[in-house]
Amino acid sequence: MRTAHPLHTRRDILLLISPAAAYLVLFSVFPLVYSLGISFFDWSPTTSSFTFVGLDNYAMLARDAVFWQAAVNTGILVVASIAIQVVLGTALALFFDLHLRGSWFVRGVLILPMLLTPVVVGLMWRALLNPDWGMVNWLLGELGLPKPLWTADPKLALVTLVLVDSWQWTPFIMVIVFARLQALPRDVFEASAVDGAGRIATLRQVTLPLLAPAIAFAAVFRSIDAFRSFDVVFGLTYGGPGRLTTTLSFYAWETGFSFTRYGYASAISYVMVIVATVAFMVLAARLALRRADAR
Amino acid sequence: MITRRIERAFAYLLLVLIGIIGFAPFVVILLLSTKARIEILQVPPTLDFDIDQIVSNYRNVLIDRGFLGYTLNSIVVTTLTVIVALLVATPAAYAFSRIPFRRRDGWANTVLSLRFMPAVAVAIPILLMMRFLDLDDTLPGLVIPYVAFSLPLVIWILIGFFDEIPRELDDAAMVDGCSRFRVLTSVMLPLVRPGLIVSSIFAAIFIWNEFLVGMYIVNSQSLKTIPLGAAGLISAQRPIDWNVAATVGVVTIIPIFVFSLFVQRYIVRGITAGAVK
Repeated sequence: MRTAHPLHTRRDILLLISPAAAYLVLFSVFPLVYSLGISFFDWSPTTSSFTFVGLDNYAMLARDAVFWQAAVNTGILVVASIAIQVVLGTALALFFDLHLRGSWFVRGVLILPMLLTPVVVGLMWRALLNPDWGMVNWLLGELGLPKPLWTADPKLALVTLVLVDSWQWTPFIMVIVFARLQALPRDVFEASAVDGAGRIATLRQVTLPLLAPAIAFAAVFRSIDAFRSFDVVFGLTYGGPGRLTTTLSFYAWETGFSFTRYGYASAISYVMVIVATVAFMVLAARLALRRADAR
Repeated sequence: MITRRIERAFAYLLLVLIGIIGFAPFVVILLLSTKARIEILQVPPTLDFDIDQIVSNYRNVLIDRGFLGYTLNSIVVTTLTVIVALLVATPAAYAFSRIPFRRRDGWANTVLSLRFMPAVAVAIPILLMMRFLDLDDTLPGLVIPYVAFSLPLVIWILIGFFDEIPRELDDAAMVDGCSRFRVLTSVMLPLVRPGLIVSSIFAAIFIWNEFLVGMYIVNSQSLKTIPLGAAGLISAQRPIDWNVAATVGVVTIIPIFVFSLFVQRYIVRGITAGAVK
């Protein structure tokens, strides 16, 4: 058969894949290699310094308190956001699985935050959470509850960031888990009910284990995105107060864009590239697992 | 029976509450966008509207602050990027789905991994590259990197959609003497249309909101996209005029809102295509 001819297939592959491959190598892979290169230089266009310093930038990072604070902030943001979003998102999916009248509409409303420009989301919540005239504190006051300072309170600033991120992204987990729920065979639940298992027992022993792969996938996917958080920080807190909400992305951006220290900024972001790559390998393993399941 | 009813009532109450938490922020922002600067301090905001004030706020944002132009830039950049990304990604996704080659899954994963790279790591090299090409501070200077950012996800989504089309169709067409390329353009394209729609939507959302790399590339006011314009409100030196900021919020949210009404089922399909199957 003509189609099975190896040469023919080879030419097809080249013809079909090479535009995408060339594009990605040129504008995705090359910039990544380029920035690794820059990270070995002391380079700033404003002071027009340009010296090869080897690993000095990385050594400086290890001693940079702001870098460590940003790393810790980013870690807390990722862990806390994903924990909240997984629990709430799964709970919401189970809730929508009751198929109450009108719940399709509420589900539709919940899709919206995911589509919004994150800078604007940050800005919007900055208004809603304003201690003096924000609607959130007005509501809390009416209910007789304490009125926090939110982004201005050093103890609460990072928590506020976590909450805003969760408002925007909990629906993402909800959508994935809900879709998985709809795809589950109903007779499993019925069998469990016939066996006399209560609702809680069914949830713990049947439903959640069946949902686990979808939840894990969604959680890893969201973690990598939360790890890169920049826009919401920019809009909501601008990294402050002090450095309390500075994420790694924000610090790298500030170093490169505002202070034009290209070498140091590249070193910060390269640490991120390495972490993201490792995290992606976890995700890829999950993907492979899923593909094996599907077969 | 009674407990069931109470449960049900409680569930509906919860449903309403969830709806409110999801939607109320938009209503508040809409309300704030109708106020004068000083009226922002009044909580809760009153419901009497002054048409002149509303007109003045929106004229200020759309015309004086240039958001009409920013929206236009966003539309141009997003449209161009999506078109180029689809042209480049579709043949590649088709090959990944159909033609076996060595380490195919590994390569597909490598492509996807690029979607998760932190944008901040490539922003400086991309600025330098665009400067080298004399494209910094131009709209093509935004489109070129945005295509690169969109490709991994677009390819990934499209592979999934191609996989769902039976291979017998390819074989039949090729027995009839069609080349691979002809099979793709005449047989596959109409069938993979939902995939093209879903992946365009995701690319479009991403590009519409992209902001970090945009800040590096674009300096001119006249070339800013919506997120760059919105970020311009935030500066450490000046306090923010919140009625203006709220108006900017509404102006940026409304196109997304309208968009989501039309594409919602595709969005759900796209998110779940990655996760369940």
